[in-house]
Amino acid sequence: MSGMRSITLGHYLPGNSLLHRLDPRAKLVGLLILIAALFLIRTFSGFFYFGLFFLIAFISSRLPWRYFLRGLKPVLYIVIFTLILHFLFTKGGRVFWRFGVLTIEENGVYLGSFMTLRLILLVVTTLLVTLTTSPIAFADGIEFLLRPLRIFRVPGHEIAMMMTIALRFIPTLMEESDKIRKAQMARGADFESGNIFRRARNLVPLLVPLFVSAFRRADDLAVAMESRCYRGGENRTKMRQRQITGLDYLGVFTACGIALAIVLTGV
Amino acid sequence: MLIETRDLSFTYMPGTPFQVEALQSVNMTVARGEFIGIIGETGSGKSTLVQHFNGLLKPTGGEIRVEGKNIWAGEINLRTLRSRIAMLFQFPEHQLFEETVFNDVSFGPRNLGLSGSELTERVRFGLESMGLDFDTYRDRSPFQLSGGEKRRVAMAGILAMRPQVVVLDEPTAGMDPAGRRQFLEQVKRLHREEGLTVILVTHNMEEIALLAEKLFVFNRGKLVLQGSPAEVFKSAAVIRDTGLEIPALSELLQRLSEQGKKVRTDLFSVEEAAAEILQLVREDRS
Repeated sequence: MSGMRSITLGHYLPGNSLLHRLDPRAKLVGLLILIAALFLIRTFSGFFYFGLFFLIAFISSRLPWRYFLRGLKPVLYIVIFTLILHFLFTKGGRVFWRFGVLTIEENGVYLGSFMTLRLILLVVTTLLVTLTTSPIAFADGIEFLLRPLRIFRVPGHEIAMMMTIALRFIPTLMEESDKIRKAQMARGADFESGNIFRRARNLVPLLVPLFVSAFRRADDLAVAMESRCYRGGENRTKMRQRQITGLDYLGVFTACGIALAIVLTGV
Repeated sequence: MLIETRDLSFTYMPGTPFQVEALQSVNMTVARGEFIGIIGETGSGKSTLVQHFNGLLKPTGGEIRVEGKNIWAGEINLRTLRSRIAMLFQFPEHQLFEETVFNDVSFGPRNLGLSGSELTERVRFGLESMGLDFDTYRDRSPFQLSGGEKRRVAMAGILAMRPQVVVLDEPTAGMDPAGRRQFLEQVKRLHREEGLTVILVTHNMEEIALLAEKLFVFNRGKLVLQGSPAEVFKSAAVIRDTGLEIPALSELLQRLSEQGKKVRTDLFSVEEAAAEILQLVREDRS
């Protein structure tokens, strides 16, 4: 369980590249357009061009590639799972391999590789955005995107605030659970052996203190926010106003351009 | 030697941009029955160090030996080790989880496989060592106790395992002066009467000077000083460099001694120092 510290999926890395400096709103809108574009791609060459674009963006972000790849690890299993499912269960075309009732056929290989590529590009593009956007900027961007939904009474600000708080407390709670786990291990608790029921029961000494402390922290935070007169999003202004610059327009237009090119050329 | 480290190093999250070298090549030994103080500022690596003593952290470099056995070479069972070298973390009241004080204190001994009257005896020993009456507290919920009581119950849970060594990580942080004194008084008594080896992590110099026989001073992951409190406090400059201050008393006595006055500089209680200075004044007069 010492791997808990090394979760990097979506772990922001500060920097000063073009991507880092882009406004979160522009980044999120751009990301949405690119994801849509990804689902419009119909050929492998389309993925090739998209991949090329991603590579340029990645290099310009100056993120260490090792760190980036580590963030991909959790998704690897889903990718492999998709690949195997398609290989084995999509039928049609020439038969490449046969073992009893199991066959790998042409359409399966084609569709499997196609879906896997799409999935990988989807994840790496999203990861590129989350790794270059601080959680607070990200929540700001979400709040902005949710703004049109106000007419349906969707509390955009509150959702963004909850996201910010949740993100803020992930490392804190992780540290806390690590500490409690060690404290109980020092008292001879065993979290690693036994069958699944035994293990679940052995988690009680970890979970009870963790919940107690989460509630205590929530309580403290609520008091701290109320004593600063927080009362939700209405009429709330921001200390740091985000300015949309030419660069941000350029980013969104680039994304639009890619989507348009995909639709028009039919790749 | 009971505990011995050889070139012990530890790095958090190695190979990521967040990597931190928390300990660098630490060599130290702890003998049976000693009262050890480990001091250093927040972030000096002292908490990381003590988590190696009972195998909660695995060194990224060097080795740690307990009674001559390398604990990471499979020469020793880690769970047995943890019952012998018990550890109380910072704010230990956060680890309480059972419905009654009895159940919580008995968690450690139960994990050791004890039950029945022996278990009850252990719990009684733990609670009473910390000055808590067994019958008054056994059925109460640990969540309804005061902060100081909670902490003593947590400590009782450690003592109920009957360890040979207790490692205490800033056990008195956030306690009021009376609770602090009471807590340390109990620890001192256990050290004296039960022969318990105590390793106390703190940045409170006044407190540790009165208790410890030997001090280890850490700065930025390195062991910079070691020796008896009197020896260590002579290197005031090194200690100041770590961001800590030597006790005001020691500083006063040292300054007097620097001015050529004949005073002992190895006194750490107000009463003793006052008597020494009084004597000095009297000698000056006559």
